[in-house]
Amino acid sequence: MQEEWGWIIAIYLFLGGLGAGACMVAVFMEFFRKINQCVSSCPVTLVGATLPGPILAIGTLLLIFDLGQGLQKPWLIINLYTHFSSVMTWGTWILTLFIPISMVYGFLEVMDFKSEAWDWLKSRSWIVKMGKFHSFLENFQLKRTKQGIALVSGVLALGVALYTGLLISIVGPAVPFWSTPVIPALPIPILPLLFLTSALSSGLAITVDFVDSVLNHDSHEHMSRLPYYHLAVILVEGLFLGLLLFNANSSGGAAAQSAEAIISGPYSILFWLFVVGLGIIVPAVIHGMQSSRKKRLNDNICLANAVGVLFSSLTMRFVIVAAGIHAIL
Amino acid sequence: MASIRRKVYGLGLFILAKFTGGKKELQIMKNLEISRRKFMGLTLAGGGALATTGSSLFNLTPETAKESSSADYAMIIDTTKCVGCGACVTACTMVNDLPENKSYVQRIVKVDEGKTWFLMMSCQHCANPPCATVCPTNATYIRPDGVVMTDRKLCVGCKYCMYACPYEARVYLREEGVADKCWLCMNRVLQGKDPGCVFACLFGARIFGKTDDPEVSKVLASGKAKPLYPEFGTNPAIVTYIIES
Repeated sequence: MQEEWGWIIAIYLFLGGLGAGACMVAVFMEFFRKINQCVSSCPVTLVGATLPGPILAIGTLLLIFDLGQGLQKPWLIINLYTHFSSVMTWGTWILTLFIPISMVYGFLEVMDFKSEAWDWLKSRSWIVKMGKFHSFLENFQLKRTKQGIALVSGVLALGVALYTGLLISIVGPAVPFWSTPVIPALPIPILPLLFLTSALSSGLAITVDFVDSVLNHDSHEHMSRLPYYHLAVILVEGLFLGLLLFNANSSGGAAAQSAEAIISGPYSILFWLFVVGLGIIVPAVIHGMQSSRKKRLNDNICLANAVGVLFSSLTMRFVIVAAGIHAIL
Repeated sequence: MASIRRKVYGLGLFILAKFTGGKKELQIMKNLEISRRKFMGLTLAGGGALATTGSSLFNLTPETAKESSSADYAMIIDTTKCVGCGACVTACTMVNDLPENKSYVQRIVKVDEGKTWFLMMSCQHCANPPCATVCPTNATYIRPDGVVMTDRKLCVGCKYCMYACPYEARVYLREEGVADKCWLCMNRVLQGKDPGCVFACLFGARIFGKTDDPEVSKVLASGKAKPLYPEFGTNPAIVTYIIES
């Protein structure tokens, strides 16, 4: 095949996972106040709620650039909503709903985080002039509305993370590597699960690790079990990655060729160095250290680890998309 | 319920097709006697051309095709007669006005125990086509006669079908920004001519015709011609191969 999905689609899949993961972390922090002791104005929630909208918007723009007609006849994109047997149509709907809803969630989170901003907004003269709207804002239950919207965007974020994997695993016999099942007998594709755990891993990296090291916040003080969750996500991701390659390798044919290209072929350096090294081994060691000792790790190490996790998440998408070899004819 | 939904859905697409074109389809359906009969009860002859597009669009979904797995046309490729000259590949490029080095027919060289033979691969016109299932804009669809078609005016060029087709029959046309494929040269067939590849084959390795055509039905009845890779589950309906075991 001469014209393939390449870096643009890989970046989109990465951004989709990143945004969805960040949103899921924010919603988790929002609802599990018992675990997250950071009662009011949690900066992790703030970052996790505000980032997904813009991230997914950029990702969607990339998708449109990748379309053959994206710039020539953009009005044809409206047809993407019409054919429900296609996973791409599901994805179009999920993205269309997720981007604005998560942006509203981010806005409400900012307003909740900084109540001065909310008061400032309500005191604007042009809002005061609109009598009914002003009284609506005065009686507006910010926290409760925010939590409702957080729930909706959390569900949609789960949809985004799963759909990015389902999109390429649904092609079935054409690209056998992508549709590798969890267990050979069970026809559930492994890619949606792998992409979900990878999304959570990169979402945790961009929220918890970034906030801790850049904003000098200490999430672990408020949430003692956080390193364990982090470690669990990374280990499950490693398990799925191993299962994917093992099952693909043992099923033979084109799937085995794909697995070989990743393990020992042209993508082996990218895979072992970045995907396994930066994405699984290094964060597993760092979060293992965080969970075993009470002392805080160096901020710069945490930041470097987070950047590494993001990069590995991108590389993993690229390697999987690029290694999708067609069934042998 | 499903039929109502399909009709509402078809109507929406009909309106869309009016705005976005769909000329290729229009031209073909104009020539089809069957559809002319269909729309007689529906509308006046003046709006006939557009109504035919509508009626063909009513049958877009792959689900309708699954109900009837038999197709009106049959193409049998006899690999025992094929010498791999590639005349069909070039003829396809010329007849369909494709860019250089692009063709809906692809030559695959097979080596089995020292014996070399040629597998001419193009769209198999599946009764259960993954490309049509996966197409997000409904640009690819099954006609009532079993031919799987792509409407270039509706394709956005997402390339999803290129990954979904296990036969790698999809061809991406960079200039147009669309992914098209073999359409059995329906423009030629409806004029009573053979498709370009059949016309070009000097060795009689391609047999094409309606399924009730005596020559074609004789070959089909012999049971030698078999669909390629049935394990893909796509149920190829039109193209079958005679392969020496």
